[in-house]
Amino acid sequence: MSDTDKIPEDIDRDDPMIAAEWALGLLEGEELLDARGKYASDPNFAWRKQWWDNWFAPWTDDIAGAEPGAHVWDCIAAALNAPAAQTGGEVVALELAKAQARTRRWQWTAAITSAAAAVLLAVLVLGPQAAPDPAPTGAPQLAVSDPLVAQVPIGDAGLRLDVTYIPETGEMLVGAIGLTADGVHDHELWLVPADGSALQSLGVVTPGEVARMDLPEDVTRNLATGVELVLTREPIGGKPEGQDAGPVVAQGAFSQV
Amino acid sequence: MADGRTDPATIARERLRDAMVRLADGDSAALEEIYAATRVKLFGICLRILGDRKEAEDALQDVYINLWQRADRYDPTRASPISWLATFARNRAVDRLRTGKVRSGAVPVEEALPLPDEAPLADALLVDAERTAQIHQCLSKLDENTAAHIRSAFFEGYTYAQLAEAADVPLGTMKSWIRRGLQRLRACLEASEAS
Repeated sequence: MSDTDKIPEDIDRDDPMIAAEWALGLLEGEELLDARGKYASDPNFAWRKQWWDNWFAPWTDDIAGAEPGAHVWDCIAAALNAPAAQTGGEVVALELAKAQARTRRWQWTAAITSAAAAVLLAVLVLGPQAAPDPAPTGAPQLAVSDPLVAQVPIGDAGLRLDVTYIPETGEMLVGAIGLTADGVHDHELWLVPADGSALQSLGVVTPGEVARMDLPEDVTRNLATGVELVLTREPIGGKPEGQDAGPVVAQGAFSQV
Repeated sequence: MADGRTDPATIARERLRDAMVRLADGDSAALEEIYAATRVKLFGICLRILGDRKEAEDALQDVYINLWQRADRYDPTRASPISWLATFARNRAVDRLRTGKVRSGAVPVEEALPLPDEAPLADALLVDAERTAQIHQCLSKLDENTAAHIRSAFFEGYTYAQLAEAADVPLGTMKSWIRRGLQRLRACLEASEAS
């Protein structure tokens, strides 16, 4: 292989190649996010990724099996029964710790949501629609209505999006904490439907504010625990009609509180 | 069964497929069956990628909880349940490497090959034998180093940068080697599908 030193980028890095790199686990950072965004929006790319996955899967037969500790199943079972366990009191210690962590996270999210209440109220008062009951934005009510929350970290600088969906009212709160406008780009938030259908835009994110939106039914029916969100970088105003979405700069997934 | 095969491995596979379908329909009891049948293989995969028992157990837990939440993503027309589950577990473990503080490369590249085979798995847990033979054959057509690097990426979860460092070559060189290898691999695999 004498010709392999310092060869220029002479290999066509087409989508099937990127899918292969992803399937091998070679992609990182923005490239990885790009690939995930493409997977959700481009059926050909998704097909090719699965094609590689299926071809690489037999290699796992070369890996020796190993027996996990018995507590692993206990934790899984506890997570499965979490909603019942909270009322039934049959919570194993580990699951309790996890539940507490979840509660803390939720309280924290709720605090941010509450802090945004003033903004929200302004939106409600100024908005054209008849004000829906803003009560669900308070923490106690939310805890009952099983909202979905997602945190979407942006880079590693501590910036993130906090997304809260309240099924009861079909509304979503999007807080862009620490994100600042650069005057050249906007960031658009997308829902990645679990069924592999096209990404659904959740709109352009407003830096430094918490935006509230009512979601149409064709979006809400795709909202569930584990469903992913991606944030893309777009020209001002969001993705231009008829053009591909910009690069994915961040992503996260919904979890239930 | 349509093909009339009734050996234990086939029955076990069908049972697993059935459990996956029930799980996708929301039957959470099916998860316990899937766990019982696949935990040894999937834990082996997590352990291999993460190189740490505690991390691997966390990853395994995460795999099954995610599976429960996303079982409807499994498409039985594209992959066998075990193939899909193995891929799912490996990809989750690699995600963990990429996003967490887990130190990858618990096993140096040179030591990582050949792979241990001390605990052969039941036939039912093996991914399709024909495809196994095919991917091994196509990989063997690549030059030895490239094949080894591609396998390291898969088995140790190494990034391009880690592979380049381990092989002591510039990053661009490693990328070229692997991409060229993947290109050939794809051509070989596609040829095998066409025949």
